[in-house]
Amino acid sequence: MVFSMEKTLNRRQAITSATSGFGALALAAMMQKDTSADGVMGVLHHPPKAKRVVQLFMAGAASHLDLWDHKPELERHHGEPSDFGEAVEAFQNGLGPWMKSPFKFSPAGQSGKMISEVVQPLASHVDDIAFIHNMVGKTGVHSQATYLQATGFDRPGFPGMGSWISYALGSIREELPTFVVLPDHRGFASNGPKNWGSGFLPASAQGTAIFPQRDKPIEDLYPAADFATPDADRDGLKLLSQINRQFQQTRPGDSRLESRLRAYELAARMQLSAPEALDISGEPDHVMKMYGLDREGAVYPDSINAQEEAEYFGRKCLIARRLLERGVRFVQIWSGNDNSFPRRNWDSHENIERDHGPLARGMAVGTAALLQDLKQTGLLEDTIVLWTTEFGRMPSTQGSLGRDHNPYVFTNWLAGGGIKGGVTYGPSDQWGYKPADRDNPTQVYDVHATILHLLGIDHERLTVRHDGIDRRLTDVHGHVLSDLLA
Amino acid sequence: MSFRDSCLPNTVFCLLIWLSFNAILAAAPFDEGAEDGEIKEGKITVRSTEDKDQDLDNLKRFEKAADVFQARCLSCHQDGVSEGDFSLSTKASAFRDGHIVPGDLDGSRVWEVIQPIGGEAEMPNDSPPLSEDEQQAVRNWILAGCVWPEGKVLVPAAIVDFDWWAFHPIARPNIPSLELINTKDLQIEHPIDAFLRRRQQDRDLSPSPLADRRTLLRRLKFDLLGLPPTIEEMEAFLADKDPEAYRKLVDRFLASKHYGERWARHWLDVVKYADTCGYDKDKLRPNAWPYRDYVIRSINEDKPYRRFIREQIAGDVYYNGQPDGILGLGFIAAGPWDFIGHVEVPESKLDGKVARNLDRDDMVSGVFNTFCSLTIQCARCHHHKFDPISQQQYYGLQAIFAAVDRAERPYDTDPEVEADKAKLLATINQSQAEIKRIEDEIQQDGGDELLKLNQRYEELKGKAFVKKDARFGYHSQIVKEPFVEKWVEVDLGASQLVSHLELFACHDEYAQIGAGFGFPVRYRVEVFGEASDAKPVTVADRTSVDQPNPGLTGVRIALPSPMQLRRVRVTATQLMERANDYHFSLAELRVLADNGENLARGAKVKSLDSIEAPARWGRNNLTDGEWATYTNPEVAKEFSEVSQRRFDLLKRMQTPERIKERDDWRSRLASAEADLKKLPAGKMVYAAATDFSPQGNFKPTSGKPRDIRVLARGEISQPRETADPILLPLFDAMTDEIGTDVSESERRAALADWLAHEQNPLVWRSIVNRVWLYHFGKGIVQTPNDFGKMGSLPTHPELLDWLATEFRDGGQWIKRGSMKDLHRLIVTSHAYRQVSDDDPEKSLIDGDNQWLWRMNRRRLEAEEIRDAIMFVSGAMDFTMGGPGYRLFKLERPTHSPHYEYHKFDHSDPSTHRRSIYRFIVRSQPDPWMTTMDCADSSQSTPKRDETLTAIQSLSLLNNQFNLVMAERFSERLIKETNTLSEQVAMAFEISMQRQATAEDHLAMVEYAERHGLNNLCRFLFNFSEFIYID
Repeated sequence: MVFSMEKTLNRRQAITSATSGFGALALAAMMQKDTSADGVMGVLHHPPKAKRVVQLFMAGAASHLDLWDHKPELERHHGEPSDFGEAVEAFQNGLGPWMKSPFKFSPAGQSGKMISEVVQPLASHVDDIAFIHNMVGKTGVHSQATYLQATGFDRPGFPGMGSWISYALGSIREELPTFVVLPDHRGFASNGPKNWGSGFLPASAQGTAIFPQRDKPIEDLYPAADFATPDADRDGLKLLSQINRQFQQTRPGDSRLESRLRAYELAARMQLSAPEALDISGEPDHVMKMYGLDREGAVYPDSINAQEEAEYFGRKCLIARRLLERGVRFVQIWSGNDNSFPRRNWDSHENIERDHGPLARGMAVGTAALLQDLKQTGLLEDTIVLWTTEFGRMPSTQGSLGRDHNPYVFTNWLAGGGIKGGVTYGPSDQWGYKPADRDNPTQVYDVHATILHLLGIDHERLTVRHDGIDRRLTDVHGHVLSDLLA
Repeated sequence: MSFRDSCLPNTVFCLLIWLSFNAILAAAPFDEGAEDGEIKEGKITVRSTEDKDQDLDNLKRFEKAADVFQARCLSCHQDGVSEGDFSLSTKASAFRDGHIVPGDLDGSRVWEVIQPIGGEAEMPNDSPPLSEDEQQAVRNWILAGCVWPEGKVLVPAAIVDFDWWAFHPIARPNIPSLELINTKDLQIEHPIDAFLRRRQQDRDLSPSPLADRRTLLRRLKFDLLGLPPTIEEMEAFLADKDPEAYRKLVDRFLASKHYGERWARHWLDVVKYADTCGYDKDKLRPNAWPYRDYVIRSINEDKPYRRFIREQIAGDVYYNGQPDGILGLGFIAAGPWDFIGHVEVPESKLDGKVARNLDRDDMVSGVFNTFCSLTIQCARCHHHKFDPISQQQYYGLQAIFAAVDRAERPYDTDPEVEADKAKLLATINQSQAEIKRIEDEIQQDGGDELLKLNQRYEELKGKAFVKKDARFGYHSQIVKEPFVEKWVEVDLGASQLVSHLELFACHDEYAQIGAGFGFPVRYRVEVFGEASDAKPVTVADRTSVDQPNPGLTGVRIALPSPMQLRRVRVTATQLMERANDYHFSLAELRVLADNGENLARGAKVKSLDSIEAPARWGRNNLTDGEWATYTNPEVAKEFSEVSQRRFDLLKRMQTPERIKERDDWRSRLASAEADLKKLPAGKMVYAAATDFSPQGNFKPTSGKPRDIRVLARGEISQPRETADPILLPLFDAMTDEIGTDVSESERRAALADWLAHEQNPLVWRSIVNRVWLYHFGKGIVQTPNDFGKMGSLPTHPELLDWLATEFRDGGQWIKRGSMKDLHRLIVTSHAYRQVSDDDPEKSLIDGDNQWLWRMNRRRLEAEEIRDAIMFVSGAMDFTMGGPGYRLFKLERPTHSPHYEYHKFDHSDPSTHRRSIYRFIVRSQPDPWMTTMDCADSSQSTPKRDETLTAIQSLSLLNNQFNLVMAERFSERLIKETNTLSEQVAMAFEISMQRQATAEDHLAMVEYAERHGLNNLCRFLFNFSEFIYID
């Protein structure tokens, strides 16, 4: 282990540890991070409101202006030359005339929140959602911005939010991975698996990628060789356990060897629980329909279309629900792959209507179903749902139908465990170009701090010493967004 | 509020949020510009300004308080940061909101928040409270009326305290004399044991007995070579009666080529080596591997450490003309690099500057983390909070790398070729200068009129918004010179009656060209009749003079009279420049009938060549009916008029003499460039470079350093003074100044000198600590990349310094800078050779074994596990070096490569080579290796983790690699011996280098009888004994 817990504790933590015994527990856990999968936090910093997190990540930069952040001014001034009142450095010089959304907005829920027609399936959930419209990023470069939203730092090498939470809280049910990632089946978003890597945290904190559409959704769960039969596995594990036990018993005082025995027991249990969690064949028809999965075997056109997007995203959402029910701590779902052509991500430089339309409709079906399901099973009460993306898009055109990158303002939303619903927080300005109050934007640190807070973690006190720096998810920033707390 | 700080949560004195909410405070005490010391309000007596002693005292009080503010508050509460809307930078800002009330402690919010209650104070946030002296200084200043000399600006204080073990000069300690040591239990003749024993004595600890020979051989071979012993090796060593048997073994292993393959891996972990760039797109680095091979070879050759340092920082300066001088520079380039931020975003944009700043940061931290164990990167946004490194110094170090980028460069150059190259480069430079001169003259002759036209042209260009489809058009292959003919043609399928033609140019932001992208400078248009051998008829010949670029306005070519024709061909005779290269592209070719019908829509397209990069570029885009247009017709119209007028004017200035002269220079340029291309390029390595082939916005500096500024808060948008290149003032023998007029290579040479200097207190300690760590699993300093105040203290400082001096200077045990001698010394110590068994009594005293009373048991590292599996299976191919083999299927390599590990077939024998030769993907590391705690190439890894997870067990049991190797292993066994019982015995002995007990043997045979040898082999790879070393 590279971590020295004494070093990790700062002054205040040392005080806490003396009274709560957190330090001692954490030390024990860190000395031997093993398959018991206990998080380092034996005792939470305060009573939690939530236990689980789902993060929905729209890769390529989803437009706030065309989904959640209604701008009547753009409708009024559509087609007029844009005037931002200051010099703007756009990523691809996309500063054409003002452009209204190609989609219609209408009020939804008790709160009357104006949302776009392409996310209508979520209309019945807006009263559970807290929208943050004044998110700001640091750069308009996909890679750095995706790192920032995923890990809190705009460069590689840092653990993802799910890794921090896995590291802190450990598993709920140890025979399933603590942190599961459901990547877009067409390919990875910018930075690929580095978005859910464990960085300087132990490898056990990294996200486990699951590809439900592959023959082997989880790599290495089962052997793919004729000779490796279930009987051979069963007897083999018995033999292994017997011989490894001897090795361990002749070397007392080394807990790693004991942990290793447990790791194989757990592996065997995971072989049973994981496929069961991924098997949606027993889901009733109405559930399949709700998730957009009622077109089994459908043939789709080559061009991007809403039904196909709904099926792909819905499948991930349904599996996410099953994983959450079975005790997975953190699920991350990606919509959108890399920046190749034709676009299959949210980077709609060329045409918002063509690309955002199907992507958003598909996303909304799955997301609405997930919220619905979590709500009716009561899981939403202690599960946080975060909808995010790396940045927003410009209120002006690029070409005539697309929008350029806008790192200056974009939207996130939260729902579920401990979040106050029906809230619209931190408005953007009349164009959706920057926050209305430029001095008080919301940053990813604040969102991360809030999520940790709801999980019972003080974001300033979850730290790990790495190369002389006490690292934390929120760097040196972050404020809990108390306006969003129920 | 600004949230722009970074890094150090515990010590940033954070936000005085309360201040902004705290409205009920006294009014500001000072009017702007009030006399020093003059107080208009306040509860204490107003002092007379005539009282000079009093003045002096007040000034002293201010200075004392200012020291406290600068050291403890300013990093958050300064202008430009102003956490909590409060800044202590100037008198005006400090008193603006009434948080400090002269003479009134209780009324001063600042005083209130620094008061510790129960050992904690509100401020400084996340940092120890102010000491009593510090509080006193603030108190005295407030009570005395808060004097603040006019114009005095406070700035955060840098730490200047060098009183820390790692910065002290290295003195050579004496080896503890043997008399001092209780030698009853053991004969001490080894200096390392003498140092260790002395520490153990103080704690009632004693070393453990020597390990048996089997354990020693396994330990030593894995440690030095990363491989398990063979049965023959084991038998020979166990039978060797020579008292020097172990020493002979050490010598043999150190002479093995596999030693470099094992130890280079440690170095590559620290320097973040990978074969791709990382970040978005994660492009391949096909020529990174020569640096990896260089490290292996350098280690095998036992290259003196000084030379190893110099080659990697400034090898091109020190060892000019030698391949290693260039190959070593792969060190500077080893880490991640942001393709988008360098190639797609120009350096003039903030995002481009951010990328380059982060790039230099990676270089500086790479050097200082690796060689000095110093966390220099902490000083990017503010002075280092703990170590004596100021922000100015940090940016001064960045300035050393101001002209350097990461790119491919040749390394095995021939002096004759180099001389030819220099001549050609001179011709190229001269031709370019002459062409520029002629063009400048033309511009000058154009006078005011041209100036205005240029201005208007640029304005309109900015306003002319473009509508375009994702399919841009046809794009030829790229060439290096303009006078190459390229053609594209449409075939109408049958002869038709045509009245005119239209050409539309492309629009692409690439190299910021935009409209008219790739439209030829000179060209001709020919048409062909029905017959396949029909002779071409030229309908437009625009090959003798340069043509105006049409932008997005179509070029209409009316035929003299309607013609029956089948094919239309456009041939570019002079290509348009892209970014230091040339090509021909065209968005649409319309062939129109009399009634305006486009006969070419959807027609077949042929061309000399094409880049075919869908969707943007493809032949078929030429007839898809889509081309870029301006959205605002008025602007477009004026734009086209201005373009035409500008072109016509320029043409008038282009006298025949000028054209001839320019064309002469152009052809000399083209021929020099062509000749240059013909020279053997040399093998390439990805390394630090100042001259390389440009790519988009990524252009070489040719050695001209970029202007490096100190960045307030590390923000590109807040540049301050220029940072001149400097070194750190850590020892006296070298000045920390490099000078401002120093060439970029001399800057790096100065840094190399500084690093390799014998008085450098960090470098020698750092390297011996790393080597120690890899042998014992724990460093003498447990934070190998951080010897600063946030790092650990050395457990054995004398031993560390003794090893450092012995290694640095050479001595009885170690030749100067010899890594092999250092290993030899360490592995022959008793400490290294003792057993790893626990001893409950000693464990009570020192459970962590920091005093090394036993050896540490360790799990094999990812590469060792993979190599050991291939080795025992008899599958290992020991071919050394060369491009990395790929354990994934590479898809779509040209745009955003996909690295598909799950589609790879591990039975491919070309990948059964030592794991150091793997192709390492930065953003998508090999999942199997990652599960085994392989280093992450996005960050420096001085020590591998050792985790145990269920996923790891599943990988070792079920991964296809393990399954394939189980089959290879059992094939080997069946080939080498006959009965199942013998095969099982042999399998166990090959894997563990001992014979199985009778009971275990029986159990394994039974298992193999029921489930086959393949399965037994598969499970053998999972035995704890297989992957742990005692």
